[in-house]
Amino acid sequence: MLNIEEIQKILPQRFPFLMVDRVIELEPGKKVVAIKNVSFNEEFFGGHFPGQPVMPGVLIIEAMAQSAIILFYADKEETADKKLSYYLGSVKVRFLNPAFPGDQLKITVEPIKIISGAALVNATVYAGDKEIARGEMSFSVKEGHE
Amino acid sequence: MQDLENEIRSMIAEIIERDPSEVTPDAKFFEDLGVDSMMALEIMAAMEKKYKISIPEENLAKLTTLRETVAVAKEILEKKG
Repeated sequence: MLNIEEIQKILPQRFPFLMVDRVIELEPGKKVVAIKNVSFNEEFFGGHFPGQPVMPGVLIIEAMAQSAIILFYADKEETADKKLSYYLGSVKVRFLNPAFPGDQLKITVEPIKIISGAALVNATVYAGDKEIARGEMSFSVKEGHE
Repeated sequence: MQDLENEIRSMIAEIIERDPSEVTPDAKFFEDLGVDSMMALEIMAAMEKKYKISIPEENLAKLTTLRETVAVAKEILEKKG
């Protein structure tokens, strides 16, 4: 549905902080299913943890949040150029299983409520049949930096 | 009405992480209770879920006190019938 070039037109994040590789399902404002491939080459595995690579939960939250931005903005054009800032308001996430190198994370985000400039969403993350995390988060969007 | 007020008070207190006793009918959300726009959105969503209603976005600005919030919920619930 969206390749990495198209994703970069929506998301302002870049290496090493772009946590969405592909979007496989997209209904703007209703549902997004995104893929994040977890590779042992990721820099953070060097320290988290030496000899026992586990994807940091905060980065799984980041992948959920970036997928949520795509959900929020997919029907608007080229938002990455508009210098929008995204602020997380609250995050309530439960981690159920760790994510390891080689896992392909499937992140599904659906809105609980979207208004202009802010949204509250539900997100789930799976690696195959294994549920990695689920929860909800709110974020707001502002032009420029505060 | 009293029940509705108490339910909404508990919901708000939980979202904004305050003691329910602080959420008096006329305590101002923004000035007195430190509510921000994200919390207001969460309050709206919590009421929608609990009462199975849809609260249009223009009501967000009306959520300034517990009394006003209850009035918004009551109005929409009455319309719903």
